[in-house]
Amino acid sequence: MFKIRRNASIAIAFFVFVFAIGTFVGPYNQGQIAVALTLFIGVLSINILTGLSGQLSLGQGALMAVGGYGCALMMINAHLSMWLAIPLSLIASALVGLLLGLVAAKLSGPYLAGTTLVLALAMPTVANKFDSILGGDTGLSIDTGMPPTWLSKVMGDIAIEQWNLYVSLPFAALALFFAANLFTSQSSRRWRAVRDHESAAALVGINVERTKISVFVISSAFAGVAGALYGLRGLVGPSVFAISLSLSLLTGSILGGLRSIAGAGLGSVIIVFLPDWIGKVIHPFSLSDQVTNYLPAFVSGLLLVLTVVVNPSGLAALFAKIFRFSRVKR
Amino acid sequence: MLKIENLTVNFDANSALDNVSFSAEVGKITTVIGANGAGKSTLLRTISGLKAPKSGSITWRDSELVGMRPEAIVRAGVALVPEGHAVIPELTIDENIRMGALFRLRKAKSDVTTAIAEMYELFPQLADRRKAPSSTLSGGERQMLAIARALVSRPEILLLDEPSLGLAPLIVKQIIGIIEELCRKSGLTVLLVEQNANTALDVADHGVLLALGKVVADRPAKDLRADVSLREAYLGY
Amino acid sequence: MQTFLTALFTGTSHGAIYALVALGLVLVWRGAGLINFAQMGQAMFSAYIASTIINHHINYWWAFIVAIIAGGALGGAIDVLVIRPLKKKSGSSILSSPSMRDAIPVIASLGILGILQSAAGMIWAGEERGFPAPVSTLGLSIGKRAMPFTRFDIFVIVLIWLILIATTLLLNKTSVGLAMRASALNMEVARLSGIRTRSIRTLGWILSGSLASVAGLMVAPATNVSPNSLDLLMIIGFTACVIGGLNSLWGSVTGAFILGLTISFINIYDAPGDVFLGIFAILIAVMIFRPSGLFAKGKARNV
Ligand SMILES: Nc1ncnc2c1ncn2[C@@H]1O[C@H](COP(=O)(O)OP(=O)(O)O)[C@@H](O)[C@H]1O
Ligand SMILES: [Mg+2]
Repeated sequence: MFKIRRNASIAIAFFVFVFAIGTFVGPYNQGQIAVALTLFIGVLSINILTGLSGQLSLGQGALMAVGGYGCALMMINAHLSMWLAIPLSLIASALVGLLLGLVAAKLSGPYLAGTTLVLALAMPTVANKFDSILGGDTGLSIDTGMPPTWLSKVMGDIAIEQWNLYVSLPFAALALFFAANLFTSQSSRRWRAVRDHESAAALVGINVERTKISVFVISSAFAGVAGALYGLRGLVGPSVFAISLSLSLLTGSILGGLRSIAGAGLGSVIIVFLPDWIGKVIHPFSLSDQVTNYLPAFVSGLLLVLTVVVNPSGLAALFAKIFRFSRVKR
Repeated sequence: MLKIENLTVNFDANSALDNVSFSAEVGKITTVIGANGAGKSTLLRTISGLKAPKSGSITWRDSELVGMRPEAIVRAGVALVPEGHAVIPELTIDENIRMGALFRLRKAKSDVTTAIAEMYELFPQLADRRKAPSSTLSGGERQMLAIARALVSRPEILLLDEPSLGLAPLIVKQIIGIIEELCRKSGLTVLLVEQNANTALDVADHGVLLALGKVVADRPAKDLRADVSLREAYLGY
Repeated sequence: MQTFLTALFTGTSHGAIYALVALGLVLVWRGAGLINFAQMGQAMFSAYIASTIINHHINYWWAFIVAIIAGGALGGAIDVLVIRPLKKKSGSSILSSPSMRDAIPVIASLGILGILQSAAGMIWAGEERGFPAPVSTLGLSIGKRAMPFTRFDIFVIVLIWLILIATTLLLNKTSVGLAMRASALNMEVARLSGIRTRSIRTLGWILSGSLASVAGLMVAPATNVSPNSLDLLMIIGFTACVIGGLNSLWGSVTGAFILGLTISFINIYDAPGDVFLGIFAILIAVMIFRPSGLFAKGKARNV
């Protein structure tokens, strides 16, 4: 009970903090923060799946796509409000996650990694196969619409980026709250047991398969919400949920710290802001377009490999080691 | 001489060997006996470089083995037959033996051929089924194969980890007999680890009794064999 | 009938290419215990190098040789620079759980893939380049009859069978091959036999990189060369390994031919758009019904 109250206060503090920053920066940064909040939920889904239960998914972007398409279909065909469609979209992704989890529970590491990667790569073909519903290569257009008038009255003119930020923020704060509870919960202890000593866990009566499946479902639900928000920036389509999305999420998760919530936050900030930071650094050098275009991907690949070799626990764990303040769950 | 000085080996916080010192004379059979968990396997694995010690030194013919990689230690003439019939079951009998000689192929190709032939003379049971996967062998034959794999590298000192474990007395006799003969005839130095103290002390020149990671006795094998009270205290028989 | 034969031949020649990819993956899997997702990145990079050489009007075969060396060198470099330091690092809490110990190198290989692809983009502007074949890829006629295969199909099939046979001989009949198999099967016993398992593992990476580069050069005439041009090949190679079982070399090769034929028939009789779904369906089906591969006999592992 104490933990829940503490986690709730952290989530509220997070909400207020980001809200304050988001209100004072310009639209460009607001857009970036909105994406970072969205990807934070996506990275959390990896930290839950891989960090807590040791199952490596390379196709988390595909589960985001399920959430995105689910949200778009509900908004376009059923004319649901976005505020209803976003939470409901997690049901779609959780269902797909259940199917995937049923297969995944039987697979050992390399097989699961490969299969999820193939899933992410197969997503565009699925979109094309059912193009009358899913819009093929073009995709489906959805957005967060106009901010409600009462908000504009209070806050003055609200740019679309700012509104996107305000839409993403409550979900990010909720995700933070739920994830924090998961990380400190009794069941996560079971998950970690499965992760670290699968056969020993089975011996003490933990149902390994069911545990793996349930983590998969929960993680997929997170990914689904992230996907819905990601699509609400304007478009749900194969190009939005490309394989590169899955890989950036993984990069964010590893860079920040696979086993911590703060790590997911750090990671999502890094993947969103890295291109800008690189742009600033190389600005004085007037490099050719071909270099500047590919440099961010190059640097993030490099960072990923370096992190894995030098400090596989990620930045959050490193900071925790230095400052000993953040609670990093082993 | 194999000289072990102040060797301490830890697993996490627990020490498996605590300040162990003794030496094994060249051309002699030295046996290390002790109850289950005394640290015998840890001792041999540390000598072979599979486990890094916390402190201490291991010298063979005056060169320091601590810090060397296992493959380099084998090349320096120290071969280990690990606990539990360590062969690769997926490989054929012939491949298992050849594997032990691979590193000498470049320098001493003709001797490798001779050495392999010698192994089949030493262990005739293996000779008829060279091309068979070694998974088809019985326990005793596997142990022979594991010993052949180690011997074919022409070691100067052979470390044996409980070669009699789980084998019928007759087979144990054959294997121990072969080891003894190799020592007496060709001057092979042997460090024999056994739980079965009597068998080991009967063939050995020198005996070391290990208990809970510490050396509690280090004497001629005959004396150790005769000391009933010591055996009863540490081995229970 | 002609269509059927065309599908058959194309499938066989593509299957041969997939077999090389699968073989490369299995070699690294057996030696180092990870699926190397960077493999086709290495091949892509060396295909760009080959294409640059060819653009300088240098003979195809020189480019071919350089590409093979480059692919192998990249493989070796990955092992020495990334995988070895990773294996040494055991103190970290993340690496203390077995599932993460397996996952981390895989993640590293993805990072390397990203590095290779973006590096290729920076060096060669990410442009899509055509790539020549050493022999004609156009329809072949003998006398007046149009044949259901091209010269290139035949070339690919013959070349790759030679490579497959050579690799099998290397593994099963040579000392180096014995050392490789021993290290893969039981590293500790191999080391106790004096085998330098670390170098042997690097050799596996080099061999795997070279095989992948050959595969890359063989598909390049059809796919062209671009930073992402070999992604599909990687997926197919992986699926082939799953079909055959990652531990079985010839199983994976067989899986590759099965997949080559399946894809070719889907392409010709159904629609190219369904290829991916087909691959995915096969992958899932095998994983559900035969998780250790179609040809796995019990627990026995065979090279
Ligand atoms: N891999 C290991 N991890 C942790 N502890 C170990 C390991 N191997 C051995 N030990 C411990 O070291 C001690 C000595 O073991 P060992 O050398 O195998 O004994 P022996 O061979 O004499 O039976 C035992 O207490 C055992 O529990
Ligand atoms: Mg022992």
